[in-house]
Amino acid sequence: MDSFTIGVVSNIGMMSLLALSAYLLLLVGEVSFGQQAFFGIGAYAAGIATVLWGWPLMAALLFAAFCGSATQLGVALPTLRLRGFYFSVATLAFAEAVRIVFELFRYRREVDGGLAGPDGEHGFRDIRYIYDNGIGTQDFLVLIWTLLVLALIAFIVLERSRIGPRLRMIGEDDVMAALNGIDVVRCKLAASAGAGALAGLAGGFYAHSVTYIEPGVFNVMLGVHTLAYGLIGGLGTAFGPLLGVLIDIGFLESFRGLSQYRMIVFGGLVVLLLILRPRGLLDEIAVNRLAGLFRRAQ
Amino acid sequence: MLVDLVQNTIEGLANGSAYALIALGFTLIFGVVGRLNLAYGATIMIGLYAGIFVHAEWQAGWMVVAATTLLGSVAAGIYVERLCFAPMRQGAAITAMVASFAIWMQLEEVATLGLPRHSYPFPPLVTGPAIEIGPFLLRREHLFMLVVALVVMVALEWLVRASRFGLALRAIAENPRAARFVGHNVERSLFLAFMLASAVGGVAGWLIASTDQQVTAMFGMWATFKGLVAAMLGGLGSLSGAVIGGLLLGVVEAYALWTFGPQVRDLSAYLILFLLLVLRPGGLLGQVHALRDADTRRRL
Repeated sequence: MDSFTIGVVSNIGMMSLLALSAYLLLLVGEVSFGQQAFFGIGAYAAGIATVLWGWPLMAALLFAAFCGSATQLGVALPTLRLRGFYFSVATLAFAEAVRIVFELFRYRREVDGGLAGPDGEHGFRDIRYIYDNGIGTQDFLVLIWTLLVLALIAFIVLERSRIGPRLRMIGEDDVMAALNGIDVVRCKLAASAGAGALAGLAGGFYAHSVTYIEPGVFNVMLGVHTLAYGLIGGLGTAFGPLLGVLIDIGFLESFRGLSQYRMIVFGGLVVLLLILRPRGLLDEIAVNRLAGLFRRAQ
Repeated sequence: MLVDLVQNTIEGLANGSAYALIALGFTLIFGVVGRLNLAYGATIMIGLYAGIFVHAEWQAGWMVVAATTLLGSVAAGIYVERLCFAPMRQGAAITAMVASFAIWMQLEEVATLGLPRHSYPFPPLVTGPAIEIGPFLLRREHLFMLVVALVVMVALEWLVRASRFGLALRAIAENPRAARFVGHNVERSLFLAFMLASAVGGVAGWLIASTDQQVTAMFGMWATFKGLVAAMLGGLGSLSGAVIGGLLLGVVEAYALWTFGPQVRDLSAYLILFLLLVLRPGGLLGQVHALRDADTRRRL
């Protein structure tokens, strides 16, 4: 594969992980505009771990997932009792606050004769672990997609277990779910922890794949995309967000002529789909039909 | 020390009146439709960019620029309403909010593609030396803005409380179905309310831009966030709350700027919004418990 294709395909993998984190929250009926913050926290955490502390990559990625998960849990505890768009606006405010904190965040140390580490608004340069340790971009791509496939398998197992319907029931109507004996708060907290871990992990990958991160990357524009992938692709299955990412990055961003108008086309697409198919292309009905076809074919 | 404190308060109130103007449009839409229009700032930005365009291309004077800004905002507002709010009237409020979020990004992209520079000059309206009161300085433009904010607030308050149109809006806000049963054209009233809010936004944007004498590509985001924080501070849906919230936000930001610098000023706005949502989601003047109870009862 040439480097352009590798870049696009790893990008699709990382964004799919991030989109899955927003999808998990959508399942329990929470619209988060702030997943980019946990993505950013993961990116900074993983970068600091490998560059400044000399950790191995796997430990750094784990640390990124942990940081994302812990902060999202911390945000979820006070905000989950908020209803509907109050929650969305709270996550949006949190994410923007985090972005400004990144602009103020300086943690520089001497590494190999030069200063390294996050430098406020100038960003965090030279996260070169995969290049210094002879991991090719292609190997890194395989690593990203391995974890994405693992995450998808986890989602499918979750959907088939008793937890999946519970989460969807909470998303449909949490009062009803509570009346049916589901511990709504615990389920939502668990979903938040999972979502934060996915976003943090995606951020850890991102930092190492681009080697340079700056606060401006983790802006609301990224948040819209994250959320919209699930809404476009569909909320019926975990493959929905993946489809959304494919449409956006695989199609809109990769064609040179289109990429300039990407946000215009993408924004319009989101709105049209919200009107015509409020739960996305692969919504529950479509997924059921496809599953039926599949069974008959066997 | 005391002089600084008072001067900072004055600056805060001056900036706050801009926030208040934007918050009025936000809160008007929310009060009637019960929905959040996140594309509001971008709507105003489209209007401003239209104004800049006629100013730069044909050297139009301030009246033409003002009219173009207003028309542009209203046109963009209609676009948002038709696409994000009208088709989802029966659906959930969240869907409309997400749609408006996507449209926000779309409009911003359109504006920056049309006029790609980072900032553009905007014709000033009121010029002249700052008014001196003892040791304190107050810019004329800011005073003008504060007056306009109060006038718009009173006018809207009158419209909602005393006019027939306002009665219809309040009926719709109370119960859209009942309003339809007694013969109101709900769609039309909502459409008009939306246009009105966009026009208020256009006025706000024009005043702010002519005070700053420039418009940057960040305006859409700035307006949406400040308006949202101000409207939520005062309690979404309350017109006087929007003005109080705007002024309060301005003063808090001025103190934050004075004590910690510009980045912390922006940070303080987001932190206030976050803490407010967590501690008092209904705003300082709101009635959150009543809302929540009503919501639960409706679903049971």
